[in-house]
Amino acid sequence: MIPEISFVLDGSIVTIDFTKPSSRGPTTTVLNYLRSLPGHKGVKEGCAEGDCGACTVVLGELVGNKSIRYKSADSCLLFLPMIHGRQLITVENLKDPSGELHPVQSAMVESSGSQCGFCTPGIVMSLFSLYKSTDHPTRLQIDDALTGNLCRCTGYKPIIEAAAHACVHKGLDHLSRDYSRIVGLLKSIPQAPIHIKTKLQSYFKPTSLSAVFSHRRQHPDAVIVSGATDVALRVTKKHELIPEIIDLSDIAELKAITNTATTLTIGAGVTLTEAMPRIEHDFPALYKMLSVFGSQQIRNLATFGGNLGSASPIGDALPVLMAYGAKVVLKRPNGKRDVSLDDYFLGYRKTARAANELITAIVIPKLKNGAAVRSYKISKRKDLDISTLSGGFRLDAKNSGTVKNIVLAYGGMAERTKRATTAEQFLVGKQWNRQTVERAMPLIDKDFTPISDARAGAEFRKVAARNLLLKFWTDTVMNE
Amino acid sequence: MNTPPHESGEKHVTGEAVYIDDIPVNAQLLAGRVVYSPHAHARIVSFDLSQAKKVLGVHAVLCHKDIPGHNQMGPVVKDEPCLAMDEVVCIGQAVFLIAAETEEQCLEAEKKIKIKYELLEPILTLEKAIEKNNLLGPPRTMHRGDAEAALKSSPHTIKGVLRTGAQEHWYLETQICLCVPGEGKEINVFSSTQHPSETQALIAGVLGVGKHDVVVEVRRMGGAFGGKETQGNHAACWSALLCNATKRPVKVRLFRDDDQKMTGKRHRILAKYEVGFDDDGMLNAFKVEVNSDAGCATDLSFAILERTMLHTDNCYYVPNFSILARAWKTNLPSNTAFRGFGGPQGMAIAETAVDRVARFLKKDAAEIRHKNFYGIESRNVTQYGQTVENNRLFLLYDQLMKSSEYSRRKREVNEFNAANEFQKKGLAITPVKFGISFTTTYLNQAGALVNVYKDGTILVNHGGTEMGQGLHTKIHQIAAAEFGVSLDKVKVNATNTSKVPNTSPTAASAGADLNGMAVKNAIDTLKSRIATAMVQIFLDENPDIPSLHNSIVFKDDWIIDSDHPERKILFSDAMPLMNLRQVSLSATGFYKTPNIEWDKKKSWGRPFNYYAFGMCVSEVMIDVLTGQHTLLRTDILHDVGDSLNPAIDMGQVEGGYIQGVGWCTTEEIKWDDKGNLLTHSPDTYKIPSVQDIPKDFRVELLQGVPNPNAIRKSKAVAEPPLMLALSTWLAIKDAISAVADHELEPEFALPATNEVILLSIENLKARMRSSDGEAVLKAPLTAKTSRSKT
Ligand SMILES: Cc1cc2nc3c(=O)[nH]c(=O)nc-3n(C[C@H](O)[C@H](O)[C@H](O)COP(=O)(O)OP(=O)(O)OC[C@H]3O[C@@H](n4cnc5c(N)ncnc54)[C@H](O)[C@@H]3O)c2cc1C
Ligand code: FES
Ligand code: FES
Repeated sequence: MIPEISFVLDGSIVTIDFTKPSSRGPTTTVLNYLRSLPGHKGVKEGCAEGDCGACTVVLGELVGNKSIRYKSADSCLLFLPMIHGRQLITVENLKDPSGELHPVQSAMVESSGSQCGFCTPGIVMSLFSLYKSTDHPTRLQIDDALTGNLCRCTGYKPIIEAAAHACVHKGLDHLSRDYSRIVGLLKSIPQAPIHIKTKLQSYFKPTSLSAVFSHRRQHPDAVIVSGATDVALRVTKKHELIPEIIDLSDIAELKAITNTATTLTIGAGVTLTEAMPRIEHDFPALYKMLSVFGSQQIRNLATFGGNLGSASPIGDALPVLMAYGAKVVLKRPNGKRDVSLDDYFLGYRKTARAANELITAIVIPKLKNGAAVRSYKISKRKDLDISTLSGGFRLDAKNSGTVKNIVLAYGGMAERTKRATTAEQFLVGKQWNRQTVERAMPLIDKDFTPISDARAGAEFRKVAARNLLLKFWTDTVMNE
Repeated sequence: MNTPPHESGEKHVTGEAVYIDDIPVNAQLLAGRVVYSPHAHARIVSFDLSQAKKVLGVHAVLCHKDIPGHNQMGPVVKDEPCLAMDEVVCIGQAVFLIAAETEEQCLEAEKKIKIKYELLEPILTLEKAIEKNNLLGPPRTMHRGDAEAALKSSPHTIKGVLRTGAQEHWYLETQICLCVPGEGKEINVFSSTQHPSETQALIAGVLGVGKHDVVVEVRRMGGAFGGKETQGNHAACWSALLCNATKRPVKVRLFRDDDQKMTGKRHRILAKYEVGFDDDGMLNAFKVEVNSDAGCATDLSFAILERTMLHTDNCYYVPNFSILARAWKTNLPSNTAFRGFGGPQGMAIAETAVDRVARFLKKDAAEIRHKNFYGIESRNVTQYGQTVENNRLFLLYDQLMKSSEYSRRKREVNEFNAANEFQKKGLAITPVKFGISFTTTYLNQAGALVNVYKDGTILVNHGGTEMGQGLHTKIHQIAAAEFGVSLDKVKVNATNTSKVPNTSPTAASAGADLNGMAVKNAIDTLKSRIATAMVQIFLDENPDIPSLHNSIVFKDDWIIDSDHPERKILFSDAMPLMNLRQVSLSATGFYKTPNIEWDKKKSWGRPFNYYAFGMCVSEVMIDVLTGQHTLLRTDILHDVGDSLNPAIDMGQVEGGYIQGVGWCTTEEIKWDDKGNLLTHSPDTYKIPSVQDIPKDFRVELLQGVPNPNAIRKSKAVAEPPLMLALSTWLAIKDAISAVADHELEPEFALPATNEVILLSIENLKARMRSSDGEAVLKAPLTAKTSRSKT
């Protein structure tokens, strides 16, 4: 157990010992840490909640002990211990030591990609992560890389152009020259459990589940974090001091993805970014939902465990997982159980998970022939927005065209992810045609009393919820 | 002129550009925090700060009684106390200030403040303000002809109501100011403000010191868009008070949510209009009533309302015009300047009316627009008496209709709509004519101070501020071109009130026009002095044929006698000689816009130096079942005269348009029934992201149209492009209208969120279904029935 963290910054290892009296607390964000240093004022705070990307940094992670994978992240959502064992790359690190601008930087200057410049360091870092991962990116890939970065001045057009111009060197740059040395540095950082204890806080980052369970016995109130994209907001927005944290992000057992003939099992600690390529083929409706989930920066951190753990009524993965008939795997110190999502959500952010249980995985059955699943997200802005409402629908139809089984799971319509059971029951056994669908639509009102809030009024939610059923019907008959 | 990239471009991309939060300050620095009212309207019964003052690390907790000077930060009308006294009039109004060693300690102290409020009834909607007759000030009117009579005699009239929503600036850099104490009463202020001179004046006021003791400096802002024209002053006054109280450097930086809750927005309006026209769609009468939500104080609301009035014609000649405009007081943060400054609301009214006329007559709206454009020779005087000179509307229209392939696409849109039930497309073209000048005439002035050093390098100071719009880049180019030297010889200094005093805000899109001229004026003075000395120097060498003062030119880093080109000297070699010859190499420059006059009482005159024009075609697709829209293609043609810097101007056009798209679509501001802002963070307040820009985005600058009225034949650009987004808004309406085959007038509002779109479609469907379908069908369209339905 080590009481300190180490990471690579500016080409060398930095160690932070939180027990020194002058030291900051373990829930200090990487953003605030960087901005306290003299040489890293390039990183900016635009919102402190993961929505603007002005604070974007790139994290380099060892893969298989020999290569580094770069991913963008919002430094305002990263607690310092989360970057233990990683390389932290900031906008100040991109210039060649000779003083030459990085290709993404010079492309941004040439295309007039900056006006006020406040968003620019973050944009440059998102472009850098694109540069490192994708040669000759498509417009879709460029857009995706930039969705987490708001710019109020430019209208984005020159930034898109800069991305297209810059990302044509197979990711080669001055960092490539230093690559093996950095790999060596990263390898030298011990991957041991970390336990930081300060006067006010305890931050435990174990490497095994059993350590979590035994720690929780003494610290039953410790807050669990996986990617912390939800929990970090308590610190950055509500200015809470969280006394005890257990960080699951280094537990290998939670990061497995297992594919069998009938199911796909995704560990609770798998990030959405890691999961997406494994989902795309067998679960296109889930994939579609994840591709409009937050931004790349968010998906690089956010986990399935976190989405299920929050059990928010507007958690985007939840309705579609329900439609697929997924089960949550819950482990306790001396056992485990699988809970169907239908039985998992009990109320507003209340679930069937007992206090001593952890979510360890989600098991998604593969579709049998004839079943169709679709997902829908309705939000004010198409991307990087929380759902106003969402739907995960499944249809099992008989050859005759009658409905054998149907799941109409909605998010944002009630205090939890919830099915439109009245409409479902009405539809079972009926012909799957426009007429019956239109008769079922008003029945959706019977199961929901949606609220009016900042995102939309209740009336809109009702109308849209009804319409989604019709949309589902058109999508199934048009065989999307 | 060659066109360099943004002068700070390289600093932006490397993270080296210094914003106020990045300025290195010594360890004495304190964090400042503003404690604000949680109630929209309340009386302060009592408060107790004693416990808060005891919190470890806290150096000051201030209330209004601790203000040494005037407790006032209203920019024009003095109706905004710096700290509330016995009453609070909006949520977000500053009540106390705290300075502590860390932000956490500030928050800790805030929790220890005890305050008792007695709640009063707030006014939170325009309807309520109107009902209570809570006027901010006297109504304004503007008239030409007899609109009332003309409406009566018009073959058709349409009446309607339009609401446009508030808009949050969402500059990436929130409001911020750093104050550093000097000796005695001196205070050095680093403020993110568009109006350093006003910031200086207000700080001098709250501290009770002379302006000469207050130095305000602005290197750059991380975006402003009007949001820092007056309201940048607030953070500045607060940090100055804390700095003065603690005698230590203090920085006030608003957290994003606090910024959104505390600062004013673009004015929402409730407009009523009635338009009279004939069978061909020629407009004959336009009667408009504008009600604008000013919020709790005056700020710039009257100037903004005036610009709304000045733009309700947009590009259309209407012989009989009448406007009644009123600003209403509500218990919301005082609304303020925002790119377009009231113009967007005015144009939205005009475009709505024209759009409805077209639907009523079942004609293409493009045709109606074209027909009603201001004429070149006749029909070219606005409703406030200014002749529309150098009218570019026809040029823009002809070129853009062609380049955007409007007619073909219109046909295709109709075909698509006929074939698709659940997706509908819409297409619209809208024009922009935007008046350039401050309508508060005296503000049309600017100053500069240009220093040339002995090594031939030049330092330019001017009164304008850099907020990303590229002003310094343009000034840099202008100065280099006027001196005939290369760009690397010239540096534009941070804006500083001790260098150029008594300046106007950088606003009204006039930054380059005004300051560019002032800089040129200073350079002309210097060049004249230098030329006089050069005549002497050349005379010493050539006593027989003296050089003429007028023939001395500055070109390619040389000073040359154009009559005798062999007489020349490098600019940098000449400057030491100037010093030896006791020539002053420092000069001030000044400029005021000529030929403008504006009678506010009569609402008549020539308020604008010139107009900027633009036009835009947008094509959208909406999902009939979800209300979500996609912006398929946008074609813009915009007039910037002879561009000083095409890359920068293109950036302004594209960025302005997208900001307008935000206002027109996803940027929705909502308050609850207590006056709490519901959309107080980017979580719920949605500005356009990279995926919201048109899938196909084509932007061109109109070529070959020099502007006789501004520096180097250029034209202002910052604000006008925002209003090009009205084409996107009306394209969405066109798509909705297609649901009912353009037979019914859809309900519509601004912004057209997916909620507005979907509910409008539902309403159309219900009207199509309704048993008395006929009546419903005709109601909003028929002239005489519509009269009673306001
Ligand atoms: C800018 C932004 C955009 C977002 N966009 C979306 C979006 O589009 N759609 C959406 O659904 N959400 C969105 N979110 C919310 C959030 O990202 C997701 O809910 C995400 O899945 C949370 O995962 P995490 O690993 O970061 O969770 P964490 O913050 O680590 O944890 C979330 C909760 O789950 C609990 N938890 C985590 N792991 C476990 C476990 N193994 N066992 C038991 N409990 C556990 C935690 O205790 C906590 O209560 C967004 C958030 C931000 C900041
Ligand atoms: S500061 Fe906005 S995403 Fe981090
Ligand atoms: S350049 Fe100003 S926000 Fe992007």
